[in-house]
Amino acid sequence: MKVIEAEDLSKNFRVKRKEKGMRGSIRSIFHPETEEICAVDSVSFGVEEGEILAFIGPNGAGKSTTIKMLTGILYPDSGHVEVLGIDPVRKRRQLAYQIGTVFGQKEQLWTHLTPYDNFRFFGAIYDLDNDAAESRIAELAEIFELGAFINTPVRNLSLGQRIRCEIVASLIHRPKVLFLDEPTIGLDPVVKENIRVLIKQMNRELHTTIFLTSHDIGDIEKLCKRIVIVNAGQIVLDDSMEHLKYHYLNKKIVEVKLQEEALWPPMEGITILKKKGGNIKFEVDTAILKINDVLRGINAEHIQDINISNIPLENIIMEIYRTEGRADRL
Amino acid sequence: MRKYVVIYRAVFIENLQYTANIVMGFIAYLILSVVFLNLWGYMYDAPGELIAGYTKEQMIWYVMITEMIWFGARSSTVREQVAADIRGGNIAYLINKPYCYPFYILAKYTGEWNIQLSMYAGLTAVVGCMMVGALPNFHWSTLAAVVPCIVLGMTIHAVFKICISMLSFWIEDAKPFQWLYDKLILVVGTIFPVEIFSAAVQPVLKLTPIYTVCYGPAKLIVDFSVEKYLEILLAQVLYLAFGSVILLWIYERGGRKLYVNGG
Repeated sequence: MKVIEAEDLSKNFRVKRKEKGMRGSIRSIFHPETEEICAVDSVSFGVEEGEILAFIGPNGAGKSTTIKMLTGILYPDSGHVEVLGIDPVRKRRQLAYQIGTVFGQKEQLWTHLTPYDNFRFFGAIYDLDNDAAESRIAELAEIFELGAFINTPVRNLSLGQRIRCEIVASLIHRPKVLFLDEPTIGLDPVVKENIRVLIKQMNRELHTTIFLTSHDIGDIEKLCKRIVIVNAGQIVLDDSMEHLKYHYLNKKIVEVKLQEEALWPPMEGITILKKKGGNIKFEVDTAILKINDVLRGINAEHIQDINISNIPLENIIMEIYRTEGRADRL
Repeated sequence: MRKYVVIYRAVFIENLQYTANIVMGFIAYLILSVVFLNLWGYMYDAPGELIAGYTKEQMIWYVMITEMIWFGARSSTVREQVAADIRGGNIAYLINKPYCYPFYILAKYTGEWNIQLSMYAGLTAVVGCMMVGALPNFHWSTLAAVVPCIVLGMTIHAVFKICISMLSFWIEDAKPFQWLYDKLILVVGTIFPVEIFSAAVQPVLKLTPIYTVCYGPAKLIVDFSVEKYLEILLAQVLYLAFGSVILLWIYERGGRKLYVNGG
């Protein structure tokens, strides 16, 4: 069952244009100029119940605008959107009871209150009665391990602790869909990993559908099974993580350490990335040349060490960003 | 309704930590009180003289009460935060909750003014009794009756301030309009009672928020009459209904114009 359905969703913004300097400023008073920017251009996609979807793209690609249209904050100029069967534009408040949002760069917690008081506050905002709020806080505090700081004012918490509390505050009303906008921004690797584990656990145990945007490849790689890439307001890729990772560029990275005197046989489909003495790093286009053909081409006696890896996801995504508008190829 | 009470409570608790800041504001209040005490002392030649129907004591108490309302109603939430939320895009993170944003702001504002006004009320009572003496013909029952008028007046004030701030959906800066509104309330409603102005101007002033925000509650405290009380209460209810409709209309229309920076 689809919980999010977007069809031909578009949003334009009118942005002021002004010539530089004092002259431009004065001129803009009498002749204001604006330019229409297309932030989201006929975007269509769906998200299944219980799915963790990565919705990514470079800065200014239209990710946040799309999230804001899905949550009813922004009105689409055209197209149709439904979240859990609710039109976010017409019934934003009704939808708010069903969804949760975490914006990594924005605080929703009241900093002078403790996490516990914040959770009670949000419980009341979402019309939970006292008993329901208490049991929910206890449940989430255990999952997210908040016991040590649940009664410390939010302003005294570390960033990692705060983000955990932000996520809990967004889950207090048992949302069916959770929108996470860069939830791990600014966190150290250990805390990031903890947050990812918790998100995964939450998805598994509470069956929450997660709509994630992040610039952190680790978040995407470790959490999501499906990825949607947007660029310049359009979807340029909508694919499974597995397919993207292993088949999209059909390339492998091989790092091999050969004996000094070993000869390197020229082969089509191989691009040398780095070569220093017997240490060679090359890229294999598996659409042209199979890895076992590469290994057959190198005399095994000359190999001292070898490492074969996939192209880092980061590189794949960067490649897709660069090839904007080539969605037909994908 | 419960959620707005919770918002109010959270802000109230938060503002209890800033009572020292409010005490600092007492200085400006005291300076203004001394200025007007001397000004009206100079204007009234003989004891028992009436100006615009007010005795000297009533006039000074009137000014001190309107000042109390003026200082108690000061709030960056309705004056600056709403406009800043709209211009900076922060509103996007506030309106995706199951409450109505204008009422959320009103609840916050109420949490603020409840503390401020209570502190200024205490100061006004002490300073007034010390400098002017007890208010003639004052009864505690009058105060109890006037409290709803003060609450309504403060709410009307907030509704109009939020309306002005929400002009930020269309214009770059709503501050000039805030400034005009504030000065109108200060000069016409706070420093001088409506009766000071010419008979031709008075009906016009009664149609402005001044009549319901400052003048009404202060007039009732210094010179209570049931007739006046009902008149002011009715005007406040009508004004609040009218202001709320305007506020929700602006919010509804403005929400469609929302542009969120950085997305």
